[in-house]
Amino acid sequence: MVPLAPRNDEVMNPSSHPDPELFALLQDLWKKHLPSTHERLDLLDHAVQMASDGHLDETVRAEAQSVAHKLSGNLGMFGYKEAGEVASDLEHTFKAPTPQDASVLREHLRRLRELLAAYL
Amino acid sequence: MQRILIIDDEDDIREVASLSLEATAGWKVLTANSGAQGIELAILHQPDAILMDVMMPGMDGPTTFRKMQQISSIAHIPVLLLTAKVQGIDKRRFADLGVAAILFKPFDPLTLAEQIAEALGWNAAPPSSHRTAPSTSAPK
Repeated sequence: MVPLAPRNDEVMNPSSHPDPELFALLQDLWKKHLPSTHERLDLLDHAVQMASDGHLDETVRAEAQSVAHKLSGNLGMFGYKEAGEVASDLEHTFKAPTPQDASVLREHLRRLRELLAAYL
Repeated sequence: MQRILIIDDEDDIREVASLSLEATAGWKVLTANSGAQGIELAILHQPDAILMDVMMPGMDGPTTFRKMQQISSIAHIPVLLLTAKVQGIDKRRFADLGVAAILFKPFDPLTLAEQIAEALGWNAAPPSSHRTAPSTSAPK
């Protein structure tokens, strides 16, 4: 079985998961919702790019904050705890980003994609 | 068997919570994707408890809860709010609403039923051998 979560995460590691049947069903749900996860990450890419270019508009900022909030709640539920925490950092930074925060946003997003890379 | 109504606008949250409660506790789960739809289902089905997201477009969780309190046929149903981790002041604000409990996202699918049972003073839900596919019955 392909690991659903980072290997350092005991909650969703298939070799140690206390309920393999539940794990398998959760894995199916994760796969089912991958398209929306990709859409959310793409929107964050767009928002971070706009912030880096110095013209993040309010509509995109609010969308990015909302998407990061959703990811922070969802990723941990599937066992991606650290990724969920990074999404929470993104949400916090997107609340009122200053021009100086562009590099912070880029780093958060890079880390988020790195943590999820094997599972997308 | 306990019957739980889950109200959340996010499909994946509804489905994981449904799966969790059905698979680990054998509870019957109803789902709604908005506060308005949740009120309709609560009136129709009289669930034993309601698990509801705080942040929803349109009518949010606290507003939905206040409306439920004005409807005599469902005002008695315990409501648990589901929210991202909050600061103490927000937690007090939610608690002051009169909800039965506040649960935090991300929740652990393994223990969600235990958390609900503990919050409501229900006997611990016995593990069920009954496994179901994820519930996708939320009316659109």
